[in-house]
Amino acid sequence: MASVVFDSIFKSFGSTKVLHGISLDISDGEFMVLVGPSGCGKSTLLRMLAGLEDITGGTIAIDGRVVNDLDSKDRDIAMVFQSYALYPHMTVRENMGFSLRLRKESVRRIAEGVDRAAKILNLGPYLDRYPRELSGGQRQRVAMGRAIVRDPKVFLFDEPLSNLDAKLRVAMRSEIKALHQRLKTTTVYVTHDQVEAMTMADRIAVMNEGRIEQLGEPLELYDRPANLFVAQFIGSPAMNVFEGIFRKDAVEALGVRWPATVKAAEGQSVTYGIRPEHLSFGAQGIPAQIEVVEPMGAETEVLVRIGGQSFTVMTHGRASYGPGERVMVSPQAAHAHLFDISSGRRL
Amino acid sequence: MKRFTREAVLLLIAVPILLWTLLPIYHIFLFSISSKDSAFSGTLWPDQPTLRNFGTIFRQEHFYLHHFWSQIWNSLWIAVAVGVITLAIATCAAFAISRLKVRGGRAVMNLALFTYFIPAAFLAIPMYKAMGMYGLLNSRWSLVLAMVTLAAPYAIWVLKQASDKLPIELDEAAKIDGATPLQLFRLVYLPLMTPSLIAIGTYALLLAWNEYLYAYLLLSHEQTIPLAVALGHFIAADDSPWELLMATGLVYALPPAAIYYAFRRYMVSGLTAGAVKA
Amino acid sequence: MSSIAIPHVPAAPPRRGLTTWQAWGAILIAPYVLVFLAFVLYPVSYGLWLARHPESYVQLFADPIFIRTVVNTVFFLLIAVNLKFLLALWLSGFFVHERTWIRWLSVVFLLPWAVPSIPTIFSIRFMFNPEWGVINSVIFRLTGLDGPNWLNDPHIGLGLAMLTHIWKSLPFWTLILIAGRLSIPREQYEAAAVDGASAWQKFKYVTWPSLRTLYLTSTILSMIWSLGDFNSVYLLTGGGPADLTHVLATLGIRYIRLDQVDLAMATIVCAMPLVLPLVYYMMKHLSK
Repeated sequence: MASVVFDSIFKSFGSTKVLHGISLDISDGEFMVLVGPSGCGKSTLLRMLAGLEDITGGTIAIDGRVVNDLDSKDRDIAMVFQSYALYPHMTVRENMGFSLRLRKESVRRIAEGVDRAAKILNLGPYLDRYPRELSGGQRQRVAMGRAIVRDPKVFLFDEPLSNLDAKLRVAMRSEIKALHQRLKTTTVYVTHDQVEAMTMADRIAVMNEGRIEQLGEPLELYDRPANLFVAQFIGSPAMNVFEGIFRKDAVEALGVRWPATVKAAEGQSVTYGIRPEHLSFGAQGIPAQIEVVEPMGAETEVLVRIGGQSFTVMTHGRASYGPGERVMVSPQAAHAHLFDISSGRRL
Repeated sequence: MKRFTREAVLLLIAVPILLWTLLPIYHIFLFSISSKDSAFSGTLWPDQPTLRNFGTIFRQEHFYLHHFWSQIWNSLWIAVAVGVITLAIATCAAFAISRLKVRGGRAVMNLALFTYFIPAAFLAIPMYKAMGMYGLLNSRWSLVLAMVTLAAPYAIWVLKQASDKLPIELDEAAKIDGATPLQLFRLVYLPLMTPSLIAIGTYALLLAWNEYLYAYLLLSHEQTIPLAVALGHFIAADDSPWELLMATGLVYALPPAAIYYAFRRYMVSGLTAGAVKA
Repeated sequence: MSSIAIPHVPAAPPRRGLTTWQAWGAILIAPYVLVFLAFVLYPVSYGLWLARHPESYVQLFADPIFIRTVVNTVFFLLIAVNLKFLLALWLSGFFVHERTWIRWLSVVFLLPWAVPSIPTIFSIRFMFNPEWGVINSVIFRLTGLDGPNWLNDPHIGLGLAMLTHIWKSLPFWTLILIAGRLSIPREQYEAAAVDGASAWQKFKYVTWPSLRTLYLTSTILSMIWSLGDFNSVYLLTGGGPADLTHVLATLGIRYIRLDQVDLAMATIVCAMPLVLPLVYYMMKHLSK
């Protein structure tokens, strides 16, 4: 258990710059999720923490100690890979005990460590099997077991659930979260899936093109995104956005006036954002035409067209409308977000 | 009906292939079980097949066969030494190039392959002179080192291709688990490379056992020569006992045939692995 | 947020010296490098140095055997190798048929490659012996005539050496081409079948485009290696009769046995104009 501090981290591959001065403080015992689109640099950052990539500029410190020049094995970390990286020629037991064996621990200590981890993850029945005999979810748990046996200061996860099917992913998410609550080890978790980030993190760092766009608790990112990128990245289905001009407490766009509680300068061009669940159907409002209705059971996702642009509306329960019908949509002004049109920053 | 013609055509092609492949080999067998007279009568099966020739060989009773046992022992010793040393050198080099990504690895790989652009018979001559300068002529080591030189590039190439197929995450996981380079090599790399190692070991072994030219140039003492060179001596005189030559040849040819048969799956996949990549 | 007091370092301190991993990389590749330097680089350089005397070349070209040898070698390369590859191409198509008995046949088919040259080539030599070889015996039994003195005729002798070469090396190259064929996805053939392609069209439009590069590079490589095929000629005819069936490989060795090392090296250097264009092509292709 330890804190992790990234200080002004720069990374270049040859002449290509991928990380532009990342600074991040992770507290002891925190579950930090790095999330962002492919190529944003999150995996690179994680791998630099692991010691698998060289650090071009800046320092990384674990528990107050700068680790730039330390080999992976001396950093007291454990990592779970996207492809699990289990040793195919070793049984589950041998896989999990490998790190202890490398340190020349006694047979008894190795058995104790492996059994303890196996109990936490319910891997008892699989201990003598080979990785090729296990399913994806089981392999993932073995990979986690291998990490637990090391009893490290920091857990690193590199998109561990990407290779699993949807249902398994949901189940594993809770397992990882439960594991964290039990062991309370500092965890750095990388994913491109914002649902994973939202459900598992203590704090999220949203990354894009080598920079942190916003750092904060999940709901904070959801309710008060710092810029347009974060607003559109977090939340599913994505926030509806369009450009308009702010005049007298509302934004004029698409031939309609959109109310907003947030203020901007009179006549300023802004980007207006509103989440699907903050649009509702009613007797009054903005005229729209329904394109597609997607019933999901508990909620219904409706695609409507306003002024030539598509909008997603999320309603509770069932919708009684059909495609082609004309309806009225009203946005909740208190939940409207305004962003500067050039920088994308929140107003 | 169409299926029948198809099978018939395939069989029709198969027969000449079988005859073509086996005729010289069968002929060796034919001579080995013939007495001196019936061998020269040109029949397809001896009147009185006999195993007497083998007795003569094993008791070293003929002039050309006086040192048979030490010669076949030389062949074995050299072949095993080449197999083991090639495997050791090539495995280390392939690991360094493929997993440790040593600087200049690709250059070494290309240089190694360059060895094959020199036809072996051409390399033999300067090799012969060089071994003379190193003082190794007539030592079995000269042949061992020469064969290792010839076998290693292909070995490194095949091992590197096989290595590249191992996911890099295994190395990374091992590094994080705390492995030193040697531990990674011993505990993760070698076990996973076993099929390729077997293929290459057998390949190098067979190459050395079957070699004639280099053995002929580099070794000459009756007692240090391998069996191949001893067989070559037979042909010098006109009245040599050809049936003994063929019988000895059969004994000489059996081990590689047997090893090939036993390890054929490994060898075939080892051979073709390098090929398709090229 | 924890508060840790670490000094603000603007850039990472550069690593000095080799890491353990880099050091081991150098150590593990060293044995092969040493072998290469001692047994390839040095001998080749020394050999080229030995071949520096112009007199050697004058002597060489004045020798009628040499000219004959060069002609033999060119024939050998052009005819034997190409014939071999056409056969390999055809046979590889045969061996990919999925039948158990064909698989067993392919095991037998590789035997010539696996077994040593000495007994097998001597065996072929004896088969063609004019007095007591099986070939002439069978001819006599069938026709009452004496068969020709095969190996004593320079043309037939060289032809038989080429045949021996093909016998020995055909299996290996067939195997390579089989591997090439097997790497072509089955769906391409199925799509062609659905489109109504005949067997020849399947070959032309599916097999050959995928196989072409492998075929060409293998042919080139085999030509380079065939230049060095000493056994097929030496063990069959010994270079005779009257040194008329020599190829460059056996001629070089002949000079060594006569203790004329300079001439031997010069022979090899003369072979370079044949080798170098082939090598150039291979390097261009392999440097990917």
